[in-house]
Amino acid sequence: MSADERIIEAREIAKTFPGGVVALDRFTLAVRRGEVVVIIIGPSGSGKSTFLRCLNGLEEIDGGSIVIDGIPLDHHRKNRLLIRQEVGMVFQSFNLFPHMTVRENIDLAQIRVRKKTRTDAAETTMSLLAKVGITEKADRYPHELSGGQQQRVAIARALAMSPKVMLFDEATSALDPEMIGEVLDVMRTLAAEGMTMVVVTHEMGFAREAGDRIVFMENGRIVEEGETERFFAAPREERTHAFLGQIL
Amino acid sequence: MTPLHLRSAAASRAALIDYGKFFLLAGLAVWLLTLGTRGMGYNWQWYRVPRFLFTTEGGVWAAGPLLQGLWVTLEISLLSLLCTLILGLTAALFRLSDSFTARALARGYLELIRNTPLLIQIFFVYFVISPVLDIGAFASAVLALSLFEGAYAAEILRAGIVSLQRGQWEAAHCLGLGLFDTYRDVILPQAVRRVLPPLAGQGISLIKDSSLVSTIAIYDLTMQGQKIVSETFLAFEIWFTVAAIYLVMTFGLSFAVRALEHRMNGFPIRGAGGIA
Repeated sequence: MSADERIIEAREIAKTFPGGVVALDRFTLAVRRGEVVVIIIGPSGSGKSTFLRCLNGLEEIDGGSIVIDGIPLDHHRKNRLLIRQEVGMVFQSFNLFPHMTVRENIDLAQIRVRKKTRTDAAETTMSLLAKVGITEKADRYPHELSGGQQQRVAIARALAMSPKVMLFDEATSALDPEMIGEVLDVMRTLAAEGMTMVVVTHEMGFAREAGDRIVFMENGRIVEEGETERFFAAPREERTHAFLGQIL
Repeated sequence: MTPLHLRSAAASRAALIDYGKFFLLAGLAVWLLTLGTRGMGYNWQWYRVPRFLFTTEGGVWAAGPLLQGLWVTLEISLLSLLCTLILGLTAALFRLSDSFTARALARGYLELIRNTPLLIQIFFVYFVISPVLDIGAFASAVLALSLFEGAYAAEILRAGIVSLQRGQWEAAHCLGLGLFDTYRDVILPQAVRRVLPPLAGQGISLIKDSSLVSTIAIYDLTMQGQKIVSETFLAFEIWFTVAAIYLVMTFGLSFAVRALEHRMNGFPIRGAGGIA
C-alpha cells in the first residue's frame, strides 16, 4: 500500500484509561481509500470503541501517531479541526440534537462549518434524507422517531459534511432487533458507493457481506486481521477460531 | 385493583378534604392577624393610600410617589436582569473553560460575591467604585445588583450546561463545529431550557433584592414607601401596598417565564439527547 493510498494511518497508538485499563496497546492499522474495515471485538474486549474515538480526537492518545488523509492528529488546533471536519462519526446512542428538527440537525454543520447557504444546505439535506429513506420525517423532532430512524438521521447528519471517512461506533447495538436491518442497509449502500468506513460492530452478517477486511481485536491488541473471505473461512489464530466458533 | 369510578370518587373526596384544610389554615391566619392588630389598637386608614399611588386632580391623571418608585424599580430590575444574564453566562463559560486564568477569575468572582452581603456590595460599589468609574447612583445600583445576581445565575447556568449528556458535545465535535457554534446552537439552547425555573427564581430574587438600593439614595419603590411612612405614619397600609406591588411584579415574571417554558416545550428535555 503506497502512502497516498492510505487515508488512515494509525501507528503504535497506546491508550490507557485512568484506573489502569489498557484500551489500546501499540495498535497499528492502516486503511486504504474506499476500504471498509470492520473491527470485531472479542467478548472480553475492554476498549471497545476507543480506537474510533482516538481517530477523530474524541480521546487523546498516550503514544503513537495518527495521520488522516495526510493530516497529522497532533496538537495543532487547525489540524484537529480539519480532521474533525473530514471524519464523520455515528454513535451507538445516535446523539441527535433533541431541540432541533431532523432537517435542522442535518442543516447545522453544513451552514456553520461548510458555510453553505440555507438553500444549498436544504437541498443536500433533502437528498440525504431520501438516501436514508425518511424524507417524510424532515420536520419532526428526534424523540418522535424510532431508534432506527434516529440512527439513519444521524448517518445523514454525518454525511452532510461530505466526510472522507465514516466511523461507525456500534451503530446498531442500541437498536431493537427489527430496526437493525434498516440501518445496516444504509451502511451497505454507503460501502457499495465506495465510502471509506471503519466499523466497530457485532453484526457478523454485515461484516461478511460489506467488509473488505476484518480486524479481530482483544485487550487493546489485534489478534488477527485479514481479507474478509479468508478471515472467516480460514482463521489463522487459535483465539479467532474459538471466537468465531462461539458466535457463528 | 380498585375500579376506576371508585378510585375517582375517593380522589375527589381527598381533594375536598384538602381544600377544607386550606380554608381552615387561611381562616386561622386571618383570625390571628385581626387579633394582633386589634391588640395593637392600630387605626387603619386605607382611604389615605390611593393618593400615593396616583392622583386625578382636575381630571388629570398623575402617578403618585409609589408608582414613580415602581417605575424606577422596574428600570433597575430589567437592566440588571439583562446584565445578570450576560455576566452569569460569561462567568459560567469561564468556569468551564480550559484556561486556568479564566477558571481562576470566575472562581474568585463567584466566591467573593456569594460570600459577602449584598448590602455591603452595594455600598462598596457606590462609595468606592462609582467615584473611580465616575458613574451615578443608578448605574452603581445596576452594577452592584448585576454583579451579585450574576454570580448565582452563573452557577445555575453552569449546572445546566454540565447536566447535558456528553454525547451532545461529541456529536458537535464530530461535525467539526467550533466551540462558539457548539455553545450557541447545541449546548446553550438545551441548557437554558433545563434551568429556566431556577433562573426565573433568581430573577425574582433580583426584583426583591433591588429594594436594597434604597440605601444609596435611589427613589425606588421601597425608598418611596419609606419616605411616605415617615411623613404620614401609615406604616402598615403603605408597607402592605408596597409588598403587594412587589408581588405583582414577581408574579408577572413567573408568569412570563412559564409562558416561555411552554413555548419551548417542542422537545422533551428529560432523557433527551440519547436513546429516547
